[in-house]
Amino acid sequence: MVAIIEKRDLRDFDWLTMLIAVAIVCFGVWQIFNAQPTENYWSKQIIGLGIALVAFAVVGFSDYRRIVDAAPVLYGIGLVLLVLVLIPGIGMKINGQQCWIRVPLIGQFQPSEFVKIPVVLMLAKYFGARKSGSLKLKEMLIGIAILAAPLGLIMLEPDAGQAITYFPLLAVIFFLSGIKIRYVVITIVAGIVLAPAAYWAGVKSGKIKDYQRQRIEAIIDPESVDPRGFAYHTIQSMITVGKGGLTGIKGDTETSQAKLKFLPEPHSDFIFAVTAENTGFVGCISLLLAYAILISRLVAGAREAPDRAGMLVIMAIAGGMMFQIFMNVGMVLGFLPVIGVPLPLMSAGLSAILSTFIAIGFVISVKMRRFVN
Amino acid sequence: MKIYDHTQNLGIRVSTIQIIAFVLLTILGARLYYLQIVRGEYYDEKAENQRIRLIPIPAPRGAIFDRNGKILVDSRPTYNVTLSNEPIKKIDVTDRIDDYAMGLNVDRQYVVERLNLIKKQNEFETMVLKENATIQDITWVEAHSMEYPELRVELQPQRVYPLKQTLAHVLGYVGEISPKELEKPEVREKGLRPGDIVGKGGLEQYYDEYLRGKPGYRKVIVDSRGRVQSEIETIPPQAGQDLVSTIDLDLQLAAEQQLANSSTKRGVVIVTDPNNGEVLAMASMPSFDPNIFVQGSTTPEGRKQIAAYWQDESRPLYNRATQGRYHPGSTWKIPESVAGLQQGVITVKDSHVLCGGGITIGNKFTRCMGSHGAPPLDLAITKSCDGYYYHLALKMKIEGLIQMVENFDFDKRTGIDLPNEKISQTPKTWMPSILKREGKWSDIRTVYASIGQDTVVVTPISLLRAISSMGVHGRMYIPHFLKEFKPIGAIGTEGESTYIPERPGFGFPHPEPKIIEMTDEQNALILKGMWGVVNNGGTAGSVKMANWEIAGKTGTAQNSELGSGGAKDHAWFVSFAPAYKPEIAVLAMIENSGFGAANAGPAAKGVYEAYLQKRNGRQTDNQDVAKK
Repeated sequence: MVAIIEKRDLRDFDWLTMLIAVAIVCFGVWQIFNAQPTENYWSKQIIGLGIALVAFAVVGFSDYRRIVDAAPVLYGIGLVLLVLVLIPGIGMKINGQQCWIRVPLIGQFQPSEFVKIPVVLMLAKYFGARKSGSLKLKEMLIGIAILAAPLGLIMLEPDAGQAITYFPLLAVIFFLSGIKIRYVVITIVAGIVLAPAAYWAGVKSGKIKDYQRQRIEAIIDPESVDPRGFAYHTIQSMITVGKGGLTGIKGDTETSQAKLKFLPEPHSDFIFAVTAENTGFVGCISLLLAYAILISRLVAGAREAPDRAGMLVIMAIAGGMMFQIFMNVGMVLGFLPVIGVPLPLMSAGLSAILSTFIAIGFVISVKMRRFVN
Repeated sequence: MKIYDHTQNLGIRVSTIQIIAFVLLTILGARLYYLQIVRGEYYDEKAENQRIRLIPIPAPRGAIFDRNGKILVDSRPTYNVTLSNEPIKKIDVTDRIDDYAMGLNVDRQYVVERLNLIKKQNEFETMVLKENATIQDITWVEAHSMEYPELRVELQPQRVYPLKQTLAHVLGYVGEISPKELEKPEVREKGLRPGDIVGKGGLEQYYDEYLRGKPGYRKVIVDSRGRVQSEIETIPPQAGQDLVSTIDLDLQLAAEQQLANSSTKRGVVIVTDPNNGEVLAMASMPSFDPNIFVQGSTTPEGRKQIAAYWQDESRPLYNRATQGRYHPGSTWKIPESVAGLQQGVITVKDSHVLCGGGITIGNKFTRCMGSHGAPPLDLAITKSCDGYYYHLALKMKIEGLIQMVENFDFDKRTGIDLPNEKISQTPKTWMPSILKREGKWSDIRTVYASIGQDTVVVTPISLLRAISSMGVHGRMYIPHFLKEFKPIGAIGTEGESTYIPERPGFGFPHPEPKIIEMTDEQNALILKGMWGVVNNGGTAGSVKMANWEIAGKTGTAQNSELGSGGAKDHAWFVSFAPAYKPEIAVLAMIENSGFGAANAGPAAKGVYEAYLQKRNGRQTDNQDVAKK
């Protein structure tokens, strides 16, 4: 493969984007170590980064247009994986959720993390082919259908946290495919009005389960809800973040919230709280800035994309990433409900880091071909 | 961008997404600023509060020794299973009650009580759920540490009474402070908290403040389940002060042996030093085992045993020496003789009073046990002539008897250093209610009162204090057990918040004795009578010992208050020896055993023999040492 990489490829290769992403992962490895120094999550994450970089290179040096062309096949494989995970014996059940497939050697992987990529490709393939003018209803329905199939399967696992991260992909694609602004406004207004109403109806009808309701109430007023019960995670997360102060706890790891097990899931969902505790406001703001630069690089890449499909792929990935960052950090900072959305590039997890780097690989691939045609 | 299309404003739309991304990141940054910079200290404190715990280290109580340094009460380390409130404060644990009770073999009802009590306490309190945990108990707790993080095994001091029933009434026992006790503001002021161990009864209670130490604590870091991770600092406890008592264990054992050998095995033997009020022995029978109260209050068997003690009609829990009130019978004649002389009804020169074999009041004849003519005072004492005292009391009138009661402090507590001492009851006590009921104080009541019956019931300790003063020129010392409290050193460095200052040692304050006013001649006349009781053909001739002159007075008190109809009389012998330079005073009272001389006398004699054996042994030892 190295042989086919031409000089031009290397010149056009987006080193900065890759370096920022790798830097965030390395920073994340340090935090995973802080969170669980006695466990091997941090070393697994380094291995994960290695695997991810290989995948990243393969995707990055490939021609994204060929991959987009293959989108239906990949999409099909994705759906098959999502079906497989539901089959007992193949899929593993952890905490009541059947969202893992056991793989020899690697351990386990989470199809719902990866299927985002074929979904984005499928959407990009379909909407990248369209011409000017506003989005038509039929097109919207097809877009929804592309999303609905994997989403339905993920909800069967059930994994609401993963499912929710699929919506921004479609939203970005619609928005950039010329959806009428009035629909956007209507959707936002309807969302603001209907969300509380739907919540109320959900609670009344029992559709929203008790634990879900309490998680939501916990963020409205965490200290008045039973602090040992459902608000526990929210409160402990806020304590952990606040405790970090300006510059963090500076090595006093013996009394860290993660060490004393006050903070749940410190290496995965609550990795940002660990970061906040260990590096303080300075470290957190630096991390958020790194994300800002990364997303800016992606958006800049999108602007230079040679075709609509490439632009859509990059923007959908950037949008999805931003959405996950906001959901995860918002949860850690105690103003969004506790939903299991991992923090891209930071949370421990092979599937997440692999899929994120594959996504960035697409971005690189698109950027490398900006002058072609 | 080649794909830009003016109809879709793509450039603006991409920018919009980028701006939204920046806005979202800015929201996160602002929230971070609020949590970490604005509220940083608040959360830092919250984090510290939830990980720092103070685990109290109970202080060992001071030990109690006899006058020769023999140990009477001690503390030993024992494993206790403790229950902490924090993990269970907010949850319902009723489904765990049976598990606790079964797993630790404790009374189910007790578990319920404990849970109710601890749930009312502060979040970080702990309480003992089971003392003396066995290996099985400890294993059980360890095995269930994940399910029941509220249970912990801790090494704590426990009170032990190695002598068991011996001296139980004097020593008392310890137990957890009762919720009722804690309601008292003065108890709260001392810093006592639920679960604290305090003295209950006896010296343990009377000197609790000094015997009790000051608890230390361990400052530890705990994890989210309350499990100790590491220790930050340890403030050691300050042990309580050791008490050296006036008790002579050998005499105590001899005294209890005498009671055990008595016919009813119920009664009192008290041995004091009349020269200063020190109590050398105080035996009250039947007795109890204080260890049951310390160790048994959590187990079903122990609780049963404690309940049995309370219900036992022979009342093993109460100290007959200070809480029992008995008719003194003829022993009462000693203070009465002093009062007769003091009040001038009789004089040393002319102390003859008619016996007449008895007296007729109205149409009722009350007889004397013998016919003594008109004996002098010393003979009346020696022979215990009732008739003499019938007539003497009528001459003194009831006012004279009341004056005597006041003079000999029978209307007060002796002030002995034991809790819950009872006050004797005398005509002074009964006068108002009898006047109200009967309209007047009749002569027959005066006659009965003259021989320690009817309206006269006294505590053995007050009687011994009064009568033994005859040997020391009327000096009535306050009977006491405290010889000395040993000092205990300070804990920590002065000036630090955790500093506990030293506690100095101190002895019994020895207040001035109450003095019974009498001339040497008057004193000598009474002593002559008391000497005669044992040594000159008196009522207690059988008690006579070679080379050891005992002065004493017998008493045989009829009793009706037990309501047992044909119950035998209480037998008394109150004495001191040597008669003219007393070293010790001995009181023996055997309930319902009959004649004083026959039943109480030998008990007292047995104590004297033990005393002499020890005294002579010591002298021989000293001579041996001198020879060397």
